[in-house]
Amino acid sequence: MADIVARNVRKIYNPDKRYPVLAIDEVSLEVRENEFVAIVGPSGCGKSTLLYMVAGFLDLTAGEIKVNGKPVEAPGPDRGIVFQHFALFPWKTVLRNVTYGLEEQKIPKAEREKIARKHIDMVKLTGFEHHYPSQLSGGMKQRVAIARTLAFDPEVLLMDEPFGALDAQTRGVMQEELLSIWSKRKKTVLFVTHDVREAVYLADRVVIMTARPGRIKEIVDTKFAGYKSTEEVLESAAFAQKTHQIWKSVREEVDKAGPLDG
Amino acid sequence: MAVSDTQAVAATGRSGGLAVPSPLVILKKYYSVLLLIIVWEVVARLNLVTPFLLPSVSSILKGVYKATLEADLIRDTALTTYRALLSFCVALVIAVPIGISMARIRVIHWFFDPIVSIGFPTPKISFLPIFILWFGLFDRPKIFLATLACTFPIVTATYLGTMGVDKYLLWSARNMGTSENSLLRKVIFPATLPQVLNGAQIAMPISIIVVIVSEMLMGGGGLGNYIMVAQRFADSVSVFAGLLVISVLGYLLQKILEKVRALVLHWHEETQHESK
Amino acid sequence: MTVRSTIVVLWRYAPIFILLAAWQMASELKFVPDSLLPSFFDVVHRWLEFLADGEIAKSGTFLWDAVRSFFASTVVTNTAASMWRGMVGLGLSIILGVTLGIAMAWFQKLRDFFEPIVMISYPIPKPALIPIFIIWLGLGHISKIAVIFAGCLIPIVISAFNGARGVDRYLIWSARNMGTREGKLLWRVVVPASLPDILSGIRMALAISFILLVSSEMLAAKSGLGFLIFFLGESGEYAGMFAAVLTITLLGFFADRAYLTIMRRILIWREE
Repeated sequence: MADIVARNVRKIYNPDKRYPVLAIDEVSLEVRENEFVAIVGPSGCGKSTLLYMVAGFLDLTAGEIKVNGKPVEAPGPDRGIVFQHFALFPWKTVLRNVTYGLEEQKIPKAEREKIARKHIDMVKLTGFEHHYPSQLSGGMKQRVAIARTLAFDPEVLLMDEPFGALDAQTRGVMQEELLSIWSKRKKTVLFVTHDVREAVYLADRVVIMTARPGRIKEIVDTKFAGYKSTEEVLESAAFAQKTHQIWKSVREEVDKAGPLDG
Repeated sequence: MAVSDTQAVAATGRSGGLAVPSPLVILKKYYSVLLLIIVWEVVARLNLVTPFLLPSVSSILKGVYKATLEADLIRDTALTTYRALLSFCVALVIAVPIGISMARIRVIHWFFDPIVSIGFPTPKISFLPIFILWFGLFDRPKIFLATLACTFPIVTATYLGTMGVDKYLLWSARNMGTSENSLLRKVIFPATLPQVLNGAQIAMPISIIVVIVSEMLMGGGGLGNYIMVAQRFADSVSVFAGLLVISVLGYLLQKILEKVRALVLHWHEETQHESK
Repeated sequence: MTVRSTIVVLWRYAPIFILLAAWQMASELKFVPDSLLPSFFDVVHRWLEFLADGEIAKSGTFLWDAVRSFFASTVVTNTAASMWRGMVGLGLSIILGVTLGIAMAWFQKLRDFFEPIVMISYPIPKPALIPIFIIWLGLGHISKIAVIFAGCLIPIVISAFNGARGVDRYLIWSARNMGTREGKLLWRVVVPASLPDILSGIRMALAISFILLVSSEMLAAKSGLGFLIFFLGESGEYAGMFAAVLTITLLGFFADRAYLTIMRRILIWREE
């Protein structure tokens, strides 16, 4: 199990070109072990950039990011990522997509089939093992992507607007399922979204970022203890109040960003 | 095994809804082609034009039949097919690595980009006399020229396909521990395959065209040579018969390639839609 | 052009210069005999000779004679003959092909009639038509024009048909809603909306027209670049043959570039 520590992270795109863009400036953030942290902010504030740097896809311009005490240098299976547009291999069946990561981990064949089937079952896709992604709906594709990432058992789960491409109903169902999976298999989660309600509902803490250049504006505790069911949380006054507070804070940044970044 | 089983089930489930078209439906759909053939036959039979200008459809079919019996048409068809297919395959083997490395390696891109952008739109058939000069009078100049002509569309398609591979797909694979070296085989190549096959589908008719024109110009057997000789002897029936066989050959090779595409890309969306 | 952009262009086409230099070196160092590969400079020299060999009755005015001699030269007369055939054939096929394609998309009866015919003629390798057009129309200009016309027609019909059929129906509905009459709908909405498809079909036809032009001129003609290539090759004049091949290569390249530039101008409204 692992924690994420980011210190004074800065990212400049095209530093050598004529128009360098300061995407992220002086971001410091700590995500504790098994904590679920969501990042919200206006479009273009660099929240996905931050996530990609934790994943190791993008280099930092300054500062450092450590996962489990080790500085991030390259992508690796200790940090599983789920993308908004699924990024499933279209030429592989559901089962082969899910076994892919296990194969790269050199897990023996019989075992990886077993693990894959368990995870496919967990995301309720039993019966679709031999379908190709092109035969699935958006929600089903995202389930496969989640199963694929959980199957190789990363210590950290990075989610880049995973439900952004889904319709409202599917999104609600998927959110609930993610929570139930997470409560059974605790992991450190960093979750990027622009849906404030989603962030408040899922996360222990919500990080609000400023308009470009992205800085951390505030961090809000969003743990709701003592409720019996999801409905109860969603209907509670505390939930409504937190959602409104964060929404207002994000809205200020959207207005600051102006029409150009809209 | 399990994969093919469920697919077979799914396939039968789908095709169950499709009815076999009745002869009447086909007749209605292709009535214009039939009309054209009938008008042609009548015009030819009534000697409205000389048989030299327009031999009747029936005499052309008879011509195909006769030439098949004499086996020279079969030999020429086999020769043309062999030359076209060999050129096509060699071009694939050469062009795909060039296209992929152009997208991945800067120096290679720098070197090949101007060559491809000048070479692609120019008519390669004009190089035939040069190839005859270099490679002699038999199969080699024909096959080399057709290979050259096929290379350009496949290189271009492969290059564009490789450039267009979804960034998130690559990231995803690296995230799951795929090394840079195996990325090419495991992700880039399969993701580029639809584009490679697009290029191949453009290249196939080009290969037939170049082979046929070089046969027309150089002789040495083949269907191009067959119709050219027939034209010189004012044997119109054989010219039309040759044209018919060439067209059927072109059609069949194209269809086979389509089948190969559907087979290779069975995972692709286009295949799913077609079968629904 | 600024110095910077000149350098960029030179750098981009540097591999071509390297290849040409290698060609020249190979000849200079006698890696290959001249009979197989005349040196690049010999070819350029021959090309310049072809440009200056116009035979005319001298009128005495130097400049006027130079202009007339230029237009009577081997390169210019044969290029003109080829381009004339190509442009007439391609032009006719564009006019008829676009009209037929759009009409097929708009009128179901026309579609029912022509679609099977188009589909059946599509896979015919077009150069195989050359002997038939020679039988029908003889060895002159007309048979080449007809071959190019017939070969370019089908791809243009198909692209215009697909383009017109794929026009977003909400576009048509909203035009009707704003009062566009049925008669004008075709010209004001369908044609511009299918332009991207039509223009890329024409680009394909342009390439086909060059192939057909060169093949038919090689097979049967008394003028044109294809004729020149084959004639010089047969008579063992290899430097001249290479010069003619280079001419047609450059012509094909620049025709495509020019077309691409025009196409981008026309389609400036399209999102990339």
